[in-house]
Amino acid sequence: MKGEMGEKRNTDISVAITGSGGSGAVTAGLILLDAAARAGLYGLMMRSYGPQIRGGESASLLRFSSRPVACMDDHVDLLVGLDWRNAGRFAQEIPLTSASLVLSDPAAGAVPTSFAASGAEIRELAFKAHAEGVAKGRLNMVAVGAAGALCGLAQGVIDAAVRKTLAGKGSEVVEQAVVCASIGYEQAGAADPAPDSTSKSAERWNISGNEACGLGGLRGGVRFVAAYPITPASDILEWLAPRLERLGGSLVQAEDELASVNMIIGASYGGVPAMTATSGPGLSLMQEGLGLAVASETPVVVINVTRGGPSTGIPTKSEQSDLNIAVNGMHGDAPHLVLAPLNVPDCVFTTQWAIRLAEHLQTAAIVLSDQSLGQARTVIDPPGEREMPLERVAEPSPQADYRRYALTGDDISPMTLPGIAHGMYTADGLEHDELGIPSSLAADHHRQLNKRRDKINAFDFGADWAELQGDGALCLICWGSASGAVFEAGARLRAQGMSVRVIALRLLAPLRCDALTQALADVECTWVVEQNHSGQLYHYLKSQGVLADDAHLLARPGPIPLRPGEIVNAITENG
Amino acid sequence: MTTVALKAKDYKSGVKPIWCPGCGHFAVFAAITRALAYLELPKERVAMISGIGCSSRLPAYVDSYGFHGLHGRALPLATGLKVARPELNVLVAGGDGDGFSIGGNHFLHACRRNIDLTYIVMDNRVYGMTKGQASPTTAPDWAKSKMTPHGTGVRRFQPAAIALSAGATFIARGYSGDPKGLTHMLVEAITHPGFSFLHVLSPCITFRPDQRSWKTGVHAFAEGPFEEPVEAAREIHADDGLGLGVLYAEKLPVWPPHIKPSGSLAEVEREFLT
Amino acid sequence: MNDMLAGEISSVAEFLAHALEMEVESAERYRELADNMEVHNNPQVATLFRRLAVEGDAHVEQVTRRCASIELPNIAPWAFKWTSPDGPESPAMEDLHYLMSRRQALELALHNEVRGLAFYIQVADRSLDAEVRQLAGEMAREEHAHVAMLENLLRREVDNELASPGDLDPPNMPE
Repeated sequence: MKGEMGEKRNTDISVAITGSGGSGAVTAGLILLDAAARAGLYGLMMRSYGPQIRGGESASLLRFSSRPVACMDDHVDLLVGLDWRNAGRFAQEIPLTSASLVLSDPAAGAVPTSFAASGAEIRELAFKAHAEGVAKGRLNMVAVGAAGALCGLAQGVIDAAVRKTLAGKGSEVVEQAVVCASIGYEQAGAADPAPDSTSKSAERWNISGNEACGLGGLRGGVRFVAAYPITPASDILEWLAPRLERLGGSLVQAEDELASVNMIIGASYGGVPAMTATSGPGLSLMQEGLGLAVASETPVVVINVTRGGPSTGIPTKSEQSDLNIAVNGMHGDAPHLVLAPLNVPDCVFTTQWAIRLAEHLQTAAIVLSDQSLGQARTVIDPPGEREMPLERVAEPSPQADYRRYALTGDDISPMTLPGIAHGMYTADGLEHDELGIPSSLAADHHRQLNKRRDKINAFDFGADWAELQGDGALCLICWGSASGAVFEAGARLRAQGMSVRVIALRLLAPLRCDALTQALADVECTWVVEQNHSGQLYHYLKSQGVLADDAHLLARPGPIPLRPGEIVNAITENG
Repeated sequence: MTTVALKAKDYKSGVKPIWCPGCGHFAVFAAITRALAYLELPKERVAMISGIGCSSRLPAYVDSYGFHGLHGRALPLATGLKVARPELNVLVAGGDGDGFSIGGNHFLHACRRNIDLTYIVMDNRVYGMTKGQASPTTAPDWAKSKMTPHGTGVRRFQPAAIALSAGATFIARGYSGDPKGLTHMLVEAITHPGFSFLHVLSPCITFRPDQRSWKTGVHAFAEGPFEEPVEAAREIHADDGLGLGVLYAEKLPVWPPHIKPSGSLAEVEREFLT
Repeated sequence: MNDMLAGEISSVAEFLAHALEMEVESAERYRELADNMEVHNNPQVATLFRRLAVEGDAHVEQVTRRCASIELPNIAPWAFKWTSPDGPESPAMEDLHYLMSRRQALELALHNEVRGLAFYIQVADRSLDAEVRQLAGEMAREEHAHVAMLENLLRREVDNELASPGDLDPPNMPE
């Protein structure tokens, strides 16, 4: 292991830390992530928990690399066990090989079979004993030092990371932690630390997918948010609450999701870009409200951080199983927008874009994130700003003949706002005529249906509907968070000499069929890859007539993340 | 901005109401236009928000901004608008089914929040628009609905008592047959800072012709308005539901408090730097 | 009706403000009733109410002329000194029925016109101000003419209702 790590340490390393009952596995992971960032590496960290609120078992799963990280690797190189109580729960998320290294505290007992069976090297390090030698020492800090050393990080960056992460705990705690970490560092007996990376001076961000969605919202101009807590979306709302206020906006905690979706419609009707965030169960509740936004042509955005479904499902785990409800959840014919960020930094862009599109096209936009993006803490390059000249089409000086739902060339009707004289109208979910007066006439219904469809379909979304990579007869199609593993699988297949094309969809509704068909030109073998049980994207593409009859499907539901290796295997085994 | 003093009829949009001849809601509509004229509220600053039902048709008849929203969801719609645009005068209208059945949860929390809205519920103790089903305020033994042929057997929802317990700071009861009293209460409700609940008895001529008896049944509410909830609760519970007047009025801080902006987006983004 | 309130009107300006409000509300009310009857497909009664609205407009103009160069007090909507729920000459919406006959509509209008007349008479009798009493008396005489007109129409109303057929259809469910 050590030799391999020495070779790999400048490229790619995966670490897992498990522990229970307050042992501090999560804090240890956060510190390591920060240390890696200081060493100029990119990183990705996920967390796993038992069901207890306190004292339960937990695991930090990390991957560092000198290249941006967008998914978990096929296996874990280093597993650090602070203790082994109930750690078997995480076995399926911590795949080890005989080349892996397990660091174990002899005081914690034997390494569980689920890990030992891999044939990984087991090395002992007495975290507890060393920690007890330091007044108020914590064993997870000893482990942090050891793990950092084995990852090839310099002691200096580990030190700095400890100080930063524990800054709020008081200087005594911090100093003792630093001492423990250096003990662990020495005890690990690691190889020489990695040379200072030249990219260390580059600015990096430490950000989670949920925070990135929140930031995308702010960049998009959102200044009203309605919030109802739900795992795993609450982070977005909690991140936004104080920051919205600082920027002059408001966050209201609603009594339920029915209230949230209606509140954002109200705020948007008043002219303030508005957004909420939820997960599957909440998105189900919001469907009627989203339909009202579509019918009344009021811009709103809902971020759905998908979790394991259906129903209450697996709240703390990820899946891509809300595509169906996002595209088809509203009753009636209700065209709207569905977008999905491809990775954590893309959460910023895609959310901002969704808001600008919703504002301009006067419709509802659903942003399909998921738990694997939302609760991933990453180290990334700061996402650049993109100019998005997409505004709400306004009518600042309405005349007496103002018609709120006037049929225009591009089917977008200029909007007045409360406060503007002579621009009064009553927005309605009832079908209506150009004035907004309720109507059950066939002509009015057809005209407004056409308008609401055509304003979206005729819009030029530009090149951002997907990320296209490569050329070749083999094409991998994916969307959202699956993209990370798919791009990496594509790279591995290319390294094996295959010619691979990847289409990672960002705009799911409306589906850019022509562009997609063009992107699939000369493809001979198509694989749709997604993290759900029924193949929702596969069937959606089929229904739109853009998928070849013999297209293949790799659909695997959560809770385990998609890994590049399993994608490569599925494709190569299939011939 | 309108500068000429408007009369009540100027607040009518001209769209002809579809309420049945004899419906109590006409009087409520008239009272609203009179109240808006009396308060000289510029039309473009008024927003009428409603749900679904006969009374929820009201916004289309008023020459102001409005939103005819979802069944039971007028209050959150109005809340979002008021928080985003606190300078607007936001009135919410709906019926007993819209407000107390499907909208019940939102009613409780709107009362709690004390947001500056005026909520007018036109209570005719029936679901008029969907053909005469019992509503939460229908008596348990009213057996004229096909959906509950023996009557619901369930005790009535008590709007004023529940509003009080949920924390509403202004509770009044009016009657469509008393337009003067209604207009006066509306003016007070709109000017009251905070959440004002105006419970209006408004007979349904089509499905509850028996409600003609309200004409002789209504009476002044004992010694209102109360300022203290325990006393008020006793009197509200003792009342037969036909007591008219301002039942309760209390001054509490209006929600949400105004908070001055203090930062920039650039500062927020800098927080992410490692 | 409580006569005392009407008797409290003590200035010409206050009286004219009442008279004007009464006529304006009445004309507007008849217009509303006409619209409502039109929407509910009772054209006979709609036409009648429309005509009464137009006549009401004429009464408004008459009173307005009397108000020229007089500054009227601003009276709150609930503070007018009549005890009927609405102005005395405004039929209450709740007294309508979509199947009402022209005869019933005329009876309603007459009832309200008589009430209006009664208001003027009471002011004429009880006001403490001589000028008010005189003015009220004049206007009461004008009202008499309106009442007479309606009584006339009612007399000529042929009783041709075939025992009010009633509506065989059930109520609609628009939504």
